[in-house]
Amino acid sequence: MAVEEDDALADALGRQRTRSRLWTGLTALSLVLCIGLVAGLAGVILREIDELSTANSDNLQWTFSQADVEFLRFQRTLERAATGRADVGAVRRRFDIFYSRMTTLETGEIFYELREDPEFAAAQAKVAAFLERTAAAVDSGDAALAASLPDLVRDADAVEHQVRTVSIAGLSIFAAVSDQRRTDLTRSLTLVAAVLGVLLSGMAVMAATLFVLGRMAEDRTRAMQQTAARMRMIVETSHDAIIVADAAGRIEEFNPAAERIFGYFRSEARGRRAVELLFPPDTADDLNRNRLHFLSEDRRPEPNERQIEVTAVDSMGRPVPVEFSVDRAEQEGGNFFVALIRDITRRKEAEAELTEARDRALAGERTKAEFLAVMSHEMRTPLNGLLGSMELLRDHAMTERQSELLDRMQSSGRSLLALVNDVLDLAKFEAGKMEPENRPFSISRLLDGVVETAAPLAAANGNTLGWDWASVPLEGASGDPRRLRQILLNLVGNSVKFTRGGSVDIEAEITGPGGGILEIRVIDTGIGISAANLERIFNDFETLDSSYARQAGGTGLGLGISRRLAELLGGEIGAESEPGEGSLFWLRVPITPLRELPLRPAEEVALRPSPGRSLDLLVVEDNEINRFVVRQMLEADGHRVTEAVDGGAGVEWAAAHRFDAILMDISMPVMDGPEATRRIRTGGGASANVPIVAVTAHALPAEIARFREAGMAHCLSKPIDRQSLAATLAEISEGGFSGVPAAAEPVAEPVIDAGQLGALCSQLGAAAAAQLFERFVAETDGTIDTLAGMAPDSPDLAATAHSCAGSCATFGMAALRGALARIETSAKTGRPIPPAELEALPALWADSRAAGEAQMQRLAA
Amino acid sequence: MTRTRFASAVLAALCLGLSPAISGELPSPEDDIVLRVTGQITQTNANGAAEFDMAMLQGMPVEKIETTTTWTEGVQTFTGVPLAALLEAVGASGSAVKATAVNDYAVEIPSEDWEKGGPIIAYLHNGSTMSLRGKGPLWIIYPFDSDPAFQSELIYARSIWQLDRIEVLK
Repeated sequence: MAVEEDDALADALGRQRTRSRLWTGLTALSLVLCIGLVAGLAGVILREIDELSTANSDNLQWTFSQADVEFLRFQRTLERAATGRADVGAVRRRFDIFYSRMTTLETGEIFYELREDPEFAAAQAKVAAFLERTAAAVDSGDAALAASLPDLVRDADAVEHQVRTVSIAGLSIFAAVSDQRRTDLTRSLTLVAAVLGVLLSGMAVMAATLFVLGRMAEDRTRAMQQTAARMRMIVETSHDAIIVADAAGRIEEFNPAAERIFGYFRSEARGRRAVELLFPPDTADDLNRNRLHFLSEDRRPEPNERQIEVTAVDSMGRPVPVEFSVDRAEQEGGNFFVALIRDITRRKEAEAELTEARDRALAGERTKAEFLAVMSHEMRTPLNGLLGSMELLRDHAMTERQSELLDRMQSSGRSLLALVNDVLDLAKFEAGKMEPENRPFSISRLLDGVVETAAPLAAANGNTLGWDWASVPLEGASGDPRRLRQILLNLVGNSVKFTRGGSVDIEAEITGPGGGILEIRVIDTGIGISAANLERIFNDFETLDSSYARQAGGTGLGLGISRRLAELLGGEIGAESEPGEGSLFWLRVPITPLRELPLRPAEEVALRPSPGRSLDLLVVEDNEINRFVVRQMLEADGHRVTEAVDGGAGVEWAAAHRFDAILMDISMPVMDGPEATRRIRTGGGASANVPIVAVTAHALPAEIARFREAGMAHCLSKPIDRQSLAATLAEISEGGFSGVPAAAEPVAEPVIDAGQLGALCSQLGAAAAAQLFERFVAETDGTIDTLAGMAPDSPDLAATAHSCAGSCATFGMAALRGALARIETSAKTGRPIPPAELEALPALWADSRAAGEAQMQRLAA
Repeated sequence: MTRTRFASAVLAALCLGLSPAISGELPSPEDDIVLRVTGQITQTNANGAAEFDMAMLQGMPVEKIETTTTWTEGVQTFTGVPLAALLEAVGASGSAVKATAVNDYAVEIPSEDWEKGGPIIAYLHNGSTMSLRGKGPLWIIYPFDSDPAFQSELIYARSIWQLDRIEVLK
């Protein structure tokens, strides 16, 4: 608003300025014109004055009439002398006078024009001839003159007409001349009048211009007065202090708000240096040197220098926290600074309170999260002990009743572990430690696994459970299968729990542009959820029906965690329901469709491998129960176990003795697992190169990477699953992966992919599959021997490895296929192939073949 | 004023030295009289008048004027006695003179004209005496070219030729 008005004002002023410039130009032009005219007029008038001031002739009429008169007097004297009434002397004098008169006409400069006139010239010539004749007579003696008097009288009478003609012609010509002169004068005067007229018009224009200019100046003054009044109003009513200072920083203006904030009267403040007056000496020094140094540099502050928050001081010496913005206005006749200062005492107090409250809240949150993490972690350790012990208990002979009790104990233990894991997940979310993974997986296998896992509970509640595609199937995709599985298990578990004797169906659909969205719907025929409750179910600790909750069990965290996980994956989750009819939970997450089916499903659980050779193992673990459980498990499989109670002891053992492998706990007092691993690797001791397996409860991708960096090639998740432990050790015993982790994958491939073989059998029929498998075994026996005997730089190596890997993939021999593929890649890219990799092939093949044969037998059965 | 003029006259007389005026009386003319001065004068030589022949005039202070006139062509040289000198010589005291020509043409010349040293009574025109036919023998000439103020009809009217009488008026 104000800006618009300012703009309008600026516009108006601009227009006025242009107009006044125009008027000024016009005025100047008319002024120049007037001066020119006046000069011209002056010239004309001066010329006239000059001409009038000098007479260029005697009185002409007089001259001509005198000629006439003198002739008549001469004539009369002549006649009188002829009659004896006058003497010849008089004749002579009269003649001379007349002669002189005529001479004047002949010689006078002013009669030049006259003499050009033919009539005048003729008459004058005659008179001149008469004068010559008569002069001869007059100049002769008295007697001769007296004698010639009668002739002279006649001659004079004869010439009288000519004299008359001369004077009349002269007069008429001079009349014309004077007429001309009068005309000239008239013209001059007319010109003068015209010039005066123009001058008058010019002056009228000038007067008009001056009038307009005066009006404009008046308008401008009024506009400026209005602006000034408005500005004054703003300055005086402002709640912020407004201080105007000159270029040297001396206060010129000090508004009422400034008086109120700083406690000085305007009259006191004016002329004082603002910085010294309004800030304590230390602050003033600091401001002058640093934040206000543009003052001393005599320049405009940069935009980032204009906002300053600082503590000022009032006239009583009380500190006043202020925020001020300052800028320099540049004006003709000196620059000045304008500062807007806001008292932020209350804001500061509020900020301090808020900060304190936030700090307290954050500290509380942190404490809670830490507490949760510690508690759940601490609970997991004894729980692991319990579950491990139960596992071991199954190795002993038990009565049926005991076995039943053990089942219940294991079931309860697993439920408890799930709860603890949920809480730990939540704590991790709160701590912001969750990161999504992105790796290839099979959607079908993921859903198979979910159905398989939830099947027992479904069956227990009398529900049917199954899944199907609702769109064109998509096998391979890239995403986070672990989280997806967790969410789906939650949703399916939920549905299964609240459905009795109904069905739970899972639908999968690929949607979205480019097929980049996976939507999975879990549809049940359970009790349903009311619309009001639908809103709440994804909140934490939300259990809708206490009786059912008790009946079904659960923390109420499941859906909350699912929602968080879905968000973590960049997707969304929701539910629709009709109470009494059933519920529909849907999950939508982005995925990257893959054309190739991933060879090994991530959630595939390896079959218990065929018993390998007995290994010499070091277990580094601070928890006694865990140590005990692991020892029992390992010894049951025929391995030898040495225990170390912490990282330091582990390093010592590793230096002194060569083990086949080391199982390393991650979280230990004194020295943790990664550090111990680093020391073992760099210590050059007996076990510096042996495989080290990380045993951890927190197996995040980033952490796994950290373990690998430290030199731990493999990772086992707590609580230790007996099958995974056995599979890992089997691989180690067979040299399936090296202790040097660089080339190894974080999770080793299983020797055999049972699913793949199963698929093969169901596609071809068991008999055909068995026949094919035999042929494959016969061929591969030869190929592996050839490969093992080949030089690492053989040109055929890549091709041979490739064709063999292809066959292996068909029959699900994942570990062998992986090893061959690595060899192929190295051969193609020219990287050196360690001879050990080639040498390890026959052993790996033997294992794979054995596993394959066992599987085939089982499938055939 | 009169005293000043008188003093000037005495001074002029002293300066002239051998001038006949020094004796306090005008000499008598020996040739044809060309000018007769009457009226308010103190120096006379004939019956209350001062009469001059050409020699007497030529014996008085001389002044030469070079000028054009409206009655002649080209620059003319006139030689004569300043009117002021002549009037002084006759002890004139008056505010004007009435100058009259042979044909009785008469004009008044106010005293300021001669007091500021304007007109002369010319007797030579381009070095020659002037005949009656040549506007002589005496002609009052103003230095027309020296001052535009002299180029007026009034001054032209006062430039009387064929002068033969001067009457000093009160």
